[in-house]
Amino acid sequence: MVSLRAVLWPLLALAGLASAKSSSGDNVLVILEPALDKSNFSIFFDGLKERGYKLTFRAPKSVTPQVIQDEVATFNHVVIFAPETKAYAQDITPQSLVQLLSLNTNLLIALSPKQTPLTSLALEFSLIPPPPGTPLVSHFPERDTPATIVPVRVPSSNPILSTTKAPVWFSGASHALGNNPRLVPILRAPAESFAADSTDDSGSIAVADAAEKGGEGLWAGSQMGLVTGFQVVGGARATWVGGVSVFSDEFAKKEISKGKKSGNQQFAQDVAAWTFQESLVLRIDRTEHHRVNETEPLEQYTTNDMITFTARISKYDGVKERWESYSGLKDLQLEFTMLDPFIRTALSPVAGKPGIYSATFRAPDRHGVFKFVIDYKRKGFTQLHSSTTVSVVPPRHDGYPRFLSAAWPYYAGAISTSIGFLLFSTLWLAGDVREMLMKKGKGLKRE
Amino acid sequence: MPAAYPIPSDLSPATVTNTASLIRIVALGLISGAAIASRLFAVINFESIIHEFDPWFNYRATRVLAAKGFYEFWNWFDPTAWYPLGRVVGGTIYPGLMATSGVIYNALHALNLPVDIRNVCVLLAPGFSALTAWATYMFTKEMKDESAGLLAAAFIGIVPGYISRSVAGSYDNEAIAIFLLMFTFYCWIKALKQGSAFFGTVAAIFYFYMVAAWGGYAFITNMIPLHALALILMGRFSSRLYVGYSSWYAIGTLASMQVPFVGFQPVKTSEHMGALGVFGLLQIIAFAQLVRSHLSSKQFQNLLLVAVISSGILGSLAIVGLTYKGWIAPWTGRFYSLWDTGYAKKYIPIIASVSEHQPTAWPSFFMDLQLLMFLFPAGVVLCFMQLRDEHVFVIIYAAVASYFAGVMVRLMLTLTPVVCVSAAVALSTLLDTYIDPTEPPSSEDEQVLEKDAASSEAGSVASTASAAPTTKKGKKAQTNSGADASASSKKASKPQKGVFGLDTRLTVIMNAFGMLSFFVLHCTWVTSNAYSSPSVVLASNNPDGSQHIIDDFREAYYWLRQNTPETAVVMSWWDYGYQIAGMADRPTLVDNNTWNNTHIATVGKAMSSSEEVAYPILRKHDVDYVLVIFGGLLGYSGDDINKFLWMVRIAQGVWPEEIQEPDYFTPQGEYRVDDQASKAMRNSLMYKMSYYRFAELFGGGQATDRVRNQAMPKQGPTLDYLGTNIWLPPIPLTVLTIPADEAFTSENWIVRIYEVKKEDLLGRDLKTANAFGQGKKRKRSKPAVRRRPIV
Repeated sequence: MVSLRAVLWPLLALAGLASAKSSSGDNVLVILEPALDKSNFSIFFDGLKERGYKLTFRAPKSVTPQVIQDEVATFNHVVIFAPETKAYAQDITPQSLVQLLSLNTNLLIALSPKQTPLTSLALEFSLIPPPPGTPLVSHFPERDTPATIVPVRVPSSNPILSTTKAPVWFSGASHALGNNPRLVPILRAPAESFAADSTDDSGSIAVADAAEKGGEGLWAGSQMGLVTGFQVVGGARATWVGGVSVFSDEFAKKEISKGKKSGNQQFAQDVAAWTFQESLVLRIDRTEHHRVNETEPLEQYTTNDMITFTARISKYDGVKERWESYSGLKDLQLEFTMLDPFIRTALSPVAGKPGIYSATFRAPDRHGVFKFVIDYKRKGFTQLHSSTTVSVVPPRHDGYPRFLSAAWPYYAGAISTSIGFLLFSTLWLAGDVREMLMKKGKGLKRE
Repeated sequence: MPAAYPIPSDLSPATVTNTASLIRIVALGLISGAAIASRLFAVINFESIIHEFDPWFNYRATRVLAAKGFYEFWNWFDPTAWYPLGRVVGGTIYPGLMATSGVIYNALHALNLPVDIRNVCVLLAPGFSALTAWATYMFTKEMKDESAGLLAAAFIGIVPGYISRSVAGSYDNEAIAIFLLMFTFYCWIKALKQGSAFFGTVAAIFYFYMVAAWGGYAFITNMIPLHALALILMGRFSSRLYVGYSSWYAIGTLASMQVPFVGFQPVKTSEHMGALGVFGLLQIIAFAQLVRSHLSSKQFQNLLLVAVISSGILGSLAIVGLTYKGWIAPWTGRFYSLWDTGYAKKYIPIIASVSEHQPTAWPSFFMDLQLLMFLFPAGVVLCFMQLRDEHVFVIIYAAVASYFAGVMVRLMLTLTPVVCVSAAVALSTLLDTYIDPTEPPSSEDEQVLEKDAASSEAGSVASTASAAPTTKKGKKAQTNSGADASASSKKASKPQKGVFGLDTRLTVIMNAFGMLSFFVLHCTWVTSNAYSSPSVVLASNNPDGSQHIIDDFREAYYWLRQNTPETAVVMSWWDYGYQIAGMADRPTLVDNNTWNNTHIATVGKAMSSSEEVAYPILRKHDVDYVLVIFGGLLGYSGDDINKFLWMVRIAQGVWPEEIQEPDYFTPQGEYRVDDQASKAMRNSLMYKMSYYRFAELFGGGQATDRVRNQAMPKQGPTLDYLGTNIWLPPIPLTVLTIPADEAFTSENWIVRIYEVKKEDLLGRDLKTANAFGQGKKRKRSKPAVRRRPIV
């Protein structure tokens, strides 16, 4: 994945140099179903155009322009506003949409309470749509709109959304979220809302009863999602919106209460900005590793070496339309792994050097093939993954300490034996000579 | 004295000696030539290629040594072996073989002979077999005489039991180890005979070479002490033994500790304790002898009693204590498996799984030794009859090696030299007896001789002595006839023993010659047919009888080499680890250096589990490709399905809850792969990879596994987690229904390679993703229940 991205990023950066709002390009295909009036979404589309996107419109059934031609994605982003369309042209299938994601094309898909091919595609993204024909219903707060048009409070802590306090009008289907960690909930249903096929109050009890008995399950409460993002492996993003009208002019202009504008316009732009990889896009520019006080990377380190690992991380700035060094990650971690992490340490930003994160640690006392792994997965942010393989080897044959104080008994033994041998040989040789001489002397005397 | 045939008597003894030694030299040269030539079948029938499995590692290591020099080799850390554990090669091998080839390679290059390192490696074993023949000659010469030595050299030169490990291309430690073994033994015998510290030191140096070359050095480490101990127990302690053994042990042990892989083992492990113990015992005895020479016998006996008892108690306490404290490692499992053949199967399946660790079958004794098998006991008996110090060695060697050869097929190799030696002793005694022209005196002569028997004894010895040097076995004949003469003088009334006439002699000699000829034919046949296959390249015969080469292994390994990134990790069963590293140059999880049982068990578990269980294991180990050997199409019986039960057993040893051997059998207890195969079998990764799309090959006909002779089901296994990493082909949708292929299958389907699929784009499990890719509808699910109803 890393290598793929390493190839893709520069290409895309080049392609987008002109006036790319998004980090991945500015060509947007909007698949708009004929039943929807284009002018009803003019605020949303104009907002995109203003920010530099080139929009191409196409009906679900028209043959051109194709989304994928010769295995290359034609557009950088695809918006599918066809919540009720059941049949598409040949080139748009659930499979081809997933393939688009693999080609780093982003998807913004609107659903509706109706059952369409896209509803079943949502299943692949671990979204669980309610039974067909059960829109989100909420009777609170009291208002003059129908129960299916629900004002939803925007979460304040979500990094995807700008900090507006105005609630968002929503009309459409909610969905339950599966346990896929790649899901990024953007907008959740209000706590008092539920999915039901009737707006009657009496019906809601029946729904609750049915859910208790374990029928269709309880499609109610704040665990349901309305707008949910999905961070695909490789960087592409997909966003599922429960109702297309969130983006409509009608909801954008509709007032929440007297004199208070709804947040739809801002919300729609925020969602599009995230989906089109404008905001919260990170990348690892490069990683380096070397021994402390050295600069050149080694192919293999020795056990117990002190190693410094540095990573340079950039964040895409959608306003300035360029990548900028980013030191804002406080919880980045580095792992030094061989099957399991032997070392897991904070990779903290270096003061005074924007975008540089560094950690110094002692290599484990174990030889093997290790990997420096950065695996940063946070909801909303691009997932950062980097893995560099190095070997950690035992010291060379001459790399061990030479004279050990613990070995003195052996040194003493060796030295004393050597000296003893020398002494003994000298004595033996010398003594022999004298004996011989004495013998000779005796012999002489005898004679 | 009558003679069976005339012998020229006008030759000077010097001429005879010179001619004899010239003939010996020529004979030894011819024997070396035969030894080398018969090992070249492998090169002629196939090509100059490294054989089998372990040699591939040795070859790879030698290349590193030749390219980077000795110090880099010593410090070589191989990150591609045992990924991701790596292997400290310098510290975990016996570098003698690589060092030898490295020296030869550098020497040849210094002489401006630009020989490829591969050819040095391929031809090393035949070259050393010539040296082995010479070493055996020297050894046997010490046992009997030169003629026995020449016979032994000829035997060891062509005997299949040794050729099986030393054909050209069989670049393994044994290639040089047998030479070192024989030469060390020769030096030891020489040291013992002469009480020579010099030969003891030479023995120690070659022992060091042996330690550096082969793990089997422990055989020498225990044989020589055993011999010394036997001599002591036989009351044959002498200062010759003391000097020979002490110089060998002290220098040899210190030298052997310089080999990094051996390190402190000689003083720490039980296998080496025998040598140390005998060394200590010799010192005590030598000291006792010294004391005895200074004390009266009564005092000495008392002292001896006290000393023996106390030292015995102290010594055994010390050994027990040290073992208990962990200072001395207890016997290893590999050692136990030598005593209890069932031990390995029960406790160390990884050892039992190697085919060369199986007990030897009777036919293979005949296959490997033929005629020598029958001469061997006779030779041992002849050794008993003389029982000099060196004969004790051969007897002990014969007994020990026979036992070990019966336990493990591969230890046939250590038996072979002693069989050659004692068979040569037997045969040369036979030939001596029948070629010797001296005839026993006829009955008339006897009566004449009887009267002056006592006085003629010296004369008869002298007369035979004059005739004897004309034959090559002069010395022997001399002693024999001397003994005969003395016997005749003592028991003159009994009929004279001996060989009369030329016809008996000719019959026996011709018979012996015929047997030897058959032996040569047998050796040649066995060598060319059974032991010359490189096993990397297989051969079969076309209908017209011509040879057809099956080169699937290299085809697949080169595919890996050419088509995968250099860092792509390949998982296979450990048998193929060295070959993948050597030929494909890719990292492997496990290889033939089976040092980490758990890692091998991990691979075994991945192979024997279902895809869902195996996939996380594969991902954790960064596996990119999985390689299996499948012989079902061609009938190649050494394939992975046949080895599969060992994988299961080894995995079961580590994960007894998850993998159970009985699950892989049918309820009837059969090992089947057809439609009656057990569920665990059919779901295992190994089964799926082997038979994936196998049935399609038969185009609707009945698919048959030709190794196991079982009919395969029409609907083969499906794979979700392995295949190739092609993302779904683009529209039109109809293309999507074609299942993903394996990455590579060789011509005869012997090697099949699968790529491990990457994580799914959407974080789904790959089975679901595949189903989606093939356009299958997915079942709707419900939101997770968060509240449980109160009952």
